[in-house]
Order: sequence, then structure tokens, then C-alpha cells
Amino acid sequence: MKVSTKGRYGLEAIVDLAAHSTEGHINLKSISERCGISEAYILQIFLVLRRAGIVDSIRGAQGGYFLAGDPSEITVGDVLTALEGPLVPVACIIEGDETSCDRYKSCATRGLWESIKHALSDVANSITIEDLVKCYRSSLAENRELEYYI
Amino acid sequence: MKISTKGRYGLRAMIDLAVHSRGEHVALYSIAERQGISVNYLEQVFSVLRKAGLVKSVKGAQGGYVLSEDPAEITVGNILRVLEGSLSIIDENAENSHDSITSIKRCIMVHVWDKMNEALNDIVDSLTLESLAENYRKITGIEDTMYYI
Repeated sequence: MKVSTKGRYGLEAIVDLAAHSTEGHINLKSISERCGISEAYILQIFLVLRRAGIVDSIRGAQGGYFLAGDPSEITVGDVLTALEGPLVPVACIIEGDETSCDRYKSCATRGLWESIKHALSDVANSITIEDLVKCYRSSLAENRELEYYI
Repeated sequence: MKISTKGRYGLRAMIDLAVHSRGEHVALYSIAERQGISVNYLEQVFSVLRKAGLVKSVKGAQGGYVLSEDPAEITVGNILRVLEGSLSIIDENAENSHDSITSIKRCIMVHVWDKMNEALNDIVDSLTLESLAENYRKITGIEDTMYYI
């Protein structure tokens, strides 16, 4: 039960975008360089995130990508769900999919999978992109201090 | 991020065994029938569970499998880790870049993946096979007839 590369890279790229958005619209090349992820892969991810209304883009010389909302209102859950689909440990409990299994009502383990689903969603929905940007900024500051003392 | 068929079927089979064994050996074909899982597949899964010491088997006409321990002593985490390996939301080999303290990756690791893993492992370690078996008895209306016979 793993979050795929798409989810991991996508989350990293979104935090990078949010952290650098003070510099205006961000082109994918700069995200690609900072995160060490290929530009083609980031484009693929950002197309999905744009469709989900998490990022938006503007064409032209000053163009590039930007967060469609406030980073304090975009959660890790929003990003992961857009890229990975529902955060479920097993496919049979995806909402609206009760018919996929004829044991749905008498399943011995459904309750367990549902409590895992809720716990994972609770965690993912409680962390915002802003939280991660803050963590990143303070680690940058710490690093600068460290360099200063060395 | 999915639990594999092995983990899903294996856990269901262990619950079935806990409910139907009552100290007696249970033949795999009867678990297979009740749970709609092939005997072949169950043989594979139970061979892993036996090697891990979660079940014991006896050969012969009255043979079959029995839990090695009281189901109240076996956690869901014990069973799933035997069948799935360590329970992590991400591929640990892919994300071991704790190398740079400035990396966004590290922030995501600490604030997202570690927290999600904690939540996941808390749930499976706090639930016992007995509690799932108890719940299953309720859902299916199977009484614990041991005391009534």
C-alpha cells in the first residue's frame, strides 16, 4: 500500500511552487531543477493538478504556474487525492463502489479498512501546503545559521 | 497505496479460522468455501503464516490448521506484516533522502509520511484478531457455540 511516485513528486513540486511563488509565476523548468524531477513528469503532474483546481497557469513571457488558492487552504489530502485517487488501503471501499464485491455487507475486514482510510485522510487533510512551506523555510534558515557558524 | 490480495485474503482467512476453529483444526477447503478463496491460494498464504509461527498445521484425516496463540494475543499488525512486509505508505527505498536538512523531501517525510505511517501502524497494532473475529460473529450471526454445546 504505497503512495506512487506521482503523489510523492507532485507533493514536493507543489511545496516548491508555493515556497517560490513570491517570485511571481514559476516555470516548470525551475521546479524541475530544484527538485531533480524531469520537466516532462512535472508537466504531466501539473496538468492533473490544474484540472483539479489546485494550480493554474498563465502563458507568455512572464507566464508560468501558481497556486490557485491560498497555501493555508490547500491540504496534502487535496494534492494526494487529485494525483492518487481516494486514499484507501483497498479498492473495495471506495465510495459508490459497494457493488464491486458481493461480500460487501458480510466482509470481516471492511471495518478495519475503513478505519485506516479515515485515519489516513484525517492526517492528510490536517496538513496544509503552508505548513510544509514553513518547515522548508525554517530548515533553510537553520542551514544558513549553521553555515555562518562553521 | 493498496494492501495486496495476499494481505486481504490472508487476514480474512485468519478471522475465519479464529471464528470456526474453537480449538479444533480447520481444513483449508472449508475456509476456502466460506470465504470464496481458492484452496491453492490459501495454501500459499498459510505456508507463510505457518513459517511465521502464527498458525500450526496437523496432517491427516482430522488435520488442518489451528491458531498458534490466543486470537486476543495476535494483532492485525502481526498478520499484515507477515504477509505484506513493513507497513509504510511510501516505498522506503525511494525516500531515504534524509541527507539534506534543507530539502522539501525531508519536511514531507517528517510531517506527512511519518504521520500517516504512525496512524496506520497505530490502528493495526491496537486491533486484535479476536476483536475482528468478534465483529465478524456479530455481522454473520455466528454464535460462539462453544459454551452452549
